Amino acid sequence: MVDLSQYLPILMFLGVAVALSALFVFLPMGVSRLTGTHNPDAEKNSEYECGFPAFEDPRSQFDVRFYLVAILFIIFDLEAAFLFPWAVSLDLTGWPGWITMMVFLGELVVGFAYAWKKGALEWE
Amino acid sequence: MTDFSQSLALIAAEELLTVVGLVLLLCAAWMGDKASRMISIVAVAALVACAFIAAPALCGGLMGPERVAFMGQYTADAFAAFAKLLIYASGIASLIVAPRFFGQVGAMRAEYPILILFAVLGMNMMVSATDFLTLYIGLELNSLAAYVLASFLRNDERSAEAGLKYFVLGALASGIILFGMSLTYGFTGSTNFTAVALAMDGTLATGALFGLIFVLAGLAFKISAVPFHMWTPDVYEGAPTPVTTFFATAPKVAALALTMRVALGAFGTQVDAWQQIVIFVSLASIVVGALGAIGQSNIKRLLAYSSINNVGFLLIGLAAATQEGASAMLVYLAIYVAMSVAGFVVVLMLRDAEGRPVEVIADMAGLSRTRPALAWALAAVMFSLAGIPPLFGFWGKFVVFQAAVNADLIALAAIGIAASVIGAFYYLKVVKIVFFDEPANVVAESGESGVDALAHKVMLLIACLFISPLGYLLTPWLGELADKAAAALYFVG
Amino acid sequence: MIGIEHYVVVSSILFVLGVLGIFLNRKNVIVILMAIELILLSVNLNLVAFSAFLGDLVGQVFAMFVLTVAAGEAAIGLAILVIYFRGRGTIAVDDIHRMRG
Repeated sequence: MVDLSQYLPILMFLGVAVALSALFVFLPMGVSRLTGTHNPDAEKNSEYECGFPAFEDPRSQFDVRFYLVAILFIIFDLEAAFLFPWAVSLDLTGWPGWITMMVFLGELVVGFAYAWKKGALEWE
Repeated sequence: MTDFSQSLALIAAEELLTVVGLVLLLCAAWMGDKASRMISIVAVAALVACAFIAAPALCGGLMGPERVAFMGQYTADAFAAFAKLLIYASGIASLIVAPRFFGQVGAMRAEYPILILFAVLGMNMMVSATDFLTLYIGLELNSLAAYVLASFLRNDERSAEAGLKYFVLGALASGIILFGMSLTYGFTGSTNFTAVALAMDGTLATGALFGLIFVLAGLAFKISAVPFHMWTPDVYEGAPTPVTTFFATAPKVAALALTMRVALGAFGTQVDAWQQIVIFVSLASIVVGALGAIGQSNIKRLLAYSSINNVGFLLIGLAAATQEGASAMLVYLAIYVAMSVAGFVVVLMLRDAEGRPVEVIADMAGLSRTRPALAWALAAVMFSLAGIPPLFGFWGKFVVFQAAVNADLIALAAIGIAASVIGAFYYLKVVKIVFFDEPANVVAESGESGVDALAHKVMLLIACLFISPLGYLLTPWLGELADKAAAALYFVG
Repeated sequence: MIGIEHYVVVSSILFVLGVLGIFLNRKNVIVILMAIELILLSVNLNLVAFSAFLGDLVGQVFAMFVLTVAAGEAAIGLAILVIYFRGRGTIAVDDIHRMRG
C-alpha cells in the first residue's frame, strides 16, 4: 500500500496552479466590471474622428485559400528550423549527419511535390 | 551498443514503410484516385513484408544491447515485434475493408492507404521507443495521421465532427504527456528510459512524481481509459467504419505497449507510485465500459464502450507489474484485436436494401433468419467480448486474472470478474435482438460477389475461427510468444 | 536570482491556463487551437529551462522537435476546422454535439 501522504504535494501543486490561472482568467473580468471600462456608447463605438469610416465589416470572412497558403508556409518554414542546429554541428556529425539531413530534405521535397501537384499552390 | 549502419539495419521495417509511403504519395498525386486500388495493394504488400521482418525477432526472442539502435533511443526487441505484428494485422484489415465502404459513397481516395501506412510507421516508433524523444515523435506521427483519417469523409458532418473532437482531445493528451516528459527530464536529467529508471530509484523527487503522473494521465487518454474516455464513443461513431476498425485495434495496441514500456521500464523502479493509479483506472474503465454500453442504440458506440471495458481488463495485467502480467496482457491484446476486427467486419457487412450501412442495433432484429451466418458471427463476437467460457475471449480474461491473483491483487481480480458478469448483460441483449426478436428486415442480402465481398468473408472467417473454441489450440504457441516478448520487456543489463 | 523553480512555476501556470482555455472556452474552436499551442509552449519553456539548468543539450533538441511538430499539428487542426466549417457553417464550441449518447 502506497503512502498517501506522498500525494499531498500534487494536490498542493495543482491547487496552486488552478488558483493562479483562475485568477488570471477572472481577475481582468472583475476589474473591468468594477472600473466601468466596459460601458460602450455610440460615440465610443464610432470611428476615431480623424480617420474615415471602414469600407466593410472587419469581421468579414476571408478566402479559405489564405489558410491553405498560411498552413503550407508554417510547415515548410518551421521544418527549416532543423537546418540551423544541423549546420553548426556538421563538423561533429560528419557524413552520417549530412546524409541524414539530405534524406530529411528529400522527404520535404516529396511533400512539396505532392502539394504542388495537388494544386495547393495555385491561387485560381 | 550498435554503430550507425547497424542501427539502420535494425529499423529496416520502418525504412521500408517510409519509402513505400513516400513513393505511394507521389503516385497518389500523379495518378489520382483511380490508382487507389493499386496503392492499397502495394500498401498491404508492404505491411506483409514488414511482418516478415518483425517475425524472426519475435520467434527468436531477441533482446539486449545488440537490438538497441541509435545509442539507446530505439529497440527492435521481441516485445516490439509482438506489438508490431498485431499492428500490421490491424492495418491490413482496415486496408482490405476500405474500398467497399468508401466505394459506396464514392469517396475512396488514394490517400487512405498512405495515411494508414504513416500511422503504422508512427506506431512502430511508439512500441520500439526507449527514449521519450522517440516516443513523442512516434506518438505524433501516429496521431497526426489519425486525425486526418477520422475526418476522412469530408462531406459527412459526423466525420468532420469526429475529426475535430479527436484532434482537440488528442492534442490535449499529447500536451499532457509532453508536460510530464519535460518534468521527468528536468528531475532525472535524462530522457532515456533506462537512465530515468536508474535516476528514479530510491526516494522519488516530487517533480519527477508529477512527471510520472502526467505521462500516465496522457497515456490513459490515448488508450481511452476512464476517466479520459469521453472522446471514444463520439469518435468511433463519427469516423468512417474502416477507420473505426483501425482506431479500435492498432492505436490501442501501440498505446498499450507504450504504456507497458514506460510504466515497467522508465518508471519500473517506482512501481508503488503508479500501481494504485493503474488499479483505479482499470476498475473505473471496466465499470464505466460495462454500464455505458447499456442504453446504446448504435452498434459502433456499443463497440466503443466494449473497447473501454476491455482496456480496463488489460490494465489489470499492468497493475500486477510482473513479467507474467505483461505476458498475459500481450495474449489478451492478440485476442482483443481479433475480436474487434471480427466485430467491425460484421458491422461493415450489414447493409440495407439500398446498400447503406446499418448501425442501429434495433434494425438488426431477426438477423438470424435473414442472414444466419452473419448473426452467428455477431453472436460469437459478443460472447467473446463478454468473456463467456467456450469462446477464446474468456482465455484472455483468464490469464490476466491469473496474473493478478499471483501478484496478490485478489480483490482487484474479484471485482473485475464481478464487473465482467454485469458487462455480459448488454452483449447478451444484442444477441437476443439478433436471434429472438421479430425480423425488422432492414438488413438486406448482399447480392454482390466481388473480390471485396469475398475478402470481407475470408477475414471474418479467420477472425471468427480465432475467437472460436478452436482458438484454444493456439494457446501454447501464443503463450510462448507472449512470454518471449515479456521477457524482452523485462530484460535488464 | 532567478532559479529553476521560477521557470517551472511560470510554465505550470501557462500549462494550466492552456488546459482551462480548452475546457472553459465556449465560443470558438480557434481559441482551443491557441490553448493547445499555449500548452506546447509551456512545455518548451520547461524543456529549455531544464536544459540550461542541467547543462544538457537534449532538452533543447526536444524543444526543437516540439516546435516543429506543433506547427504540423496546428496545420492539421486548421484543415479539419475548415472542413468542419464548410459542412456546418459555424465553429462555435456549443454547436459541436451532433453525436450524443
